[in-house]
Amino acid sequence: MPRRKAGAIIPEMFRVMLEKPTTEAYPYKPIKLPERFRGKLDVDPETCTGCGVCAIVCPAQVITMVDVGTRKVGDKELPVKRPIFDLSTCIFCGECVDNCAFKALELTKEFQLACSDKADLMMRKALAK
Amino acid sequence: MSDESKRREESAGLMEYSVENLVPFGPIHPALKEPEYFKLILEGEKIVQVIPRIGYVHRGLEKAAEQRPWMQNMYMFERTCGICSFVHSLCYGQAVEELTVFQVPRRAKFIRLIVAELERIHSHLLWVGLMGHWAGFETLFMWVWNDRELVLDIVEAISGNRVHKSMNTLCGVRRDMPEGMEDRIVERMKYIVDRAHYYREIIDTEETMLARTEKVGNKISQETAQKLCAVGPMARFVGLRQDVRLNDPYAAYDEVPFDLVTRTEGDVRSLLRLRLDELIVSANMISYAVKHLPDGPFRVRIPNIIPAGEHSSHCEAPRGEIFYYVKSNGGKIPDRVKSRQPTMANIPAALELLKGQNLADLPMVLTAIDPCFGCMDRMSFFDTESHRQWAWSGEQLRQYGIKHYFPDRISAAPALKIGEAH
Repeated sequence: MPRRKAGAIIPEMFRVMLEKPTTEAYPYKPIKLPERFRGKLDVDPETCTGCGVCAIVCPAQVITMVDVGTRKVGDKELPVKRPIFDLSTCIFCGECVDNCAFKALELTKEFQLACSDKADLMMRKALAK
Repeated sequence: MSDESKRREESAGLMEYSVENLVPFGPIHPALKEPEYFKLILEGEKIVQVIPRIGYVHRGLEKAAEQRPWMQNMYMFERTCGICSFVHSLCYGQAVEELTVFQVPRRAKFIRLIVAELERIHSHLLWVGLMGHWAGFETLFMWVWNDRELVLDIVEAISGNRVHKSMNTLCGVRRDMPEGMEDRIVERMKYIVDRAHYYREIIDTEETMLARTEKVGNKISQETAQKLCAVGPMARFVGLRQDVRLNDPYAAYDEVPFDLVTRTEGDVRSLLRLRLDELIVSANMISYAVKHLPDGPFRVRIPNIIPAGEHSSHCEAPRGEIFYYVKSNGGKIPDRVKSRQPTMANIPAALELLKGQNLADLPMVLTAIDPCFGCMDRMSFFDTESHRQWAWSGEQLRQYGIKHYFPDRISAAPALKIGEAH
């Protein structure tokens, strides 16, 4: 096999120079995300019934159900539960969203989750109602 | 010689070599992406023997699988590897699906093939870039990783994430192929094939690459490769026709035509050529599968409980054959899951490949096997007092566990000898 000549890279060099840049000016310009992008989890407190299916299916044990009060069914007092999400351990698989029968959960396009305190990633949105 | 240094040499099995010839390589080394330790015995600049020590990133995945439901394990096994993630969940899923009565829809099989092949392309491109990096040809690294982004963009559009796709589910896939993607995928694959041909030309003619790859690596024979249980590209680069996709087709590999690429030179350059050729084959397979995608459902919903039984499955990951074994007792969680990763099988062949090579070629040869040490680490027994290694069966290990945690319960069971040969 003949060895490559010294100037053989020049056509490739011009090709790369003439095409538009591959990198994006990300922090200054918003990044374009695909339609199916799986970002930060969001819950709708109005629609969530506290059934707890999301907490059962979650592979990373992100979701814990907590008691927020009681309700009367017939003559029985039953606890009312709501989920708390620990987004610092979320793996963004979307299994909870698939299994939510009430469509209360969704994966948004937000992905900038860096913060200085881990406690900021505890989502207690569903408790406030 | 003091007792301490004598003991150390005995433990390394190095009595016949002087200590001056021993060079420790790792566990933290710029040439390794993951921690792994190799004891190198040198004569001058030549490597005489390599003694590996594995287990730095053992994560206990198999034990963790025994405490999680069937479906959650799928996401855990997907995280076995950060590059070939999909094929792990596919292989585990196939083993579990065999235990159920449900059939995987044909469309799901095609989608699985497409994603698995996209993964192979991006894994091979990543590896070619790294080879350029270690050869001192940084430009190749930049070009190749630029093209890899195009593949990752398609993966992201199909699955929603670049690496951990979360596409697989038991008996199907979780997402259908997006509408109107067909032309874009075919066009991109054509571009990738063009680029792969260009890179092949580069590795055949470029002075830098030839100097670092040609006739580098101790040539191993077909018999040796077979004896050392080499898998995947490490078996194919000496001429063995060994590929699970061809030998035991899974997913839709029996419906999509493809050529098996083998080479016979047996040096590092033949591995580069082989992987670039495989990449071209994969790109053509994706184009074919996208055009011939069948209609119909892409998922079957199955119950959480898997019937009792045991089954195994194997798939061709980018690095070679992976193997999963699952055992169910008819409950919601598995009884036992065993996984074997390709790097584990390729390490003995890699040690053979390193013999008689220059020390400076070590990063090239070690990267050439496409190592993924994090995937392969498993538990082994080693007694630091007597320097003995041994293996235990599952039953012996269980008894040891009972004895350790519940010392009063073991009285009825037979006494256990530590380090008993099995």
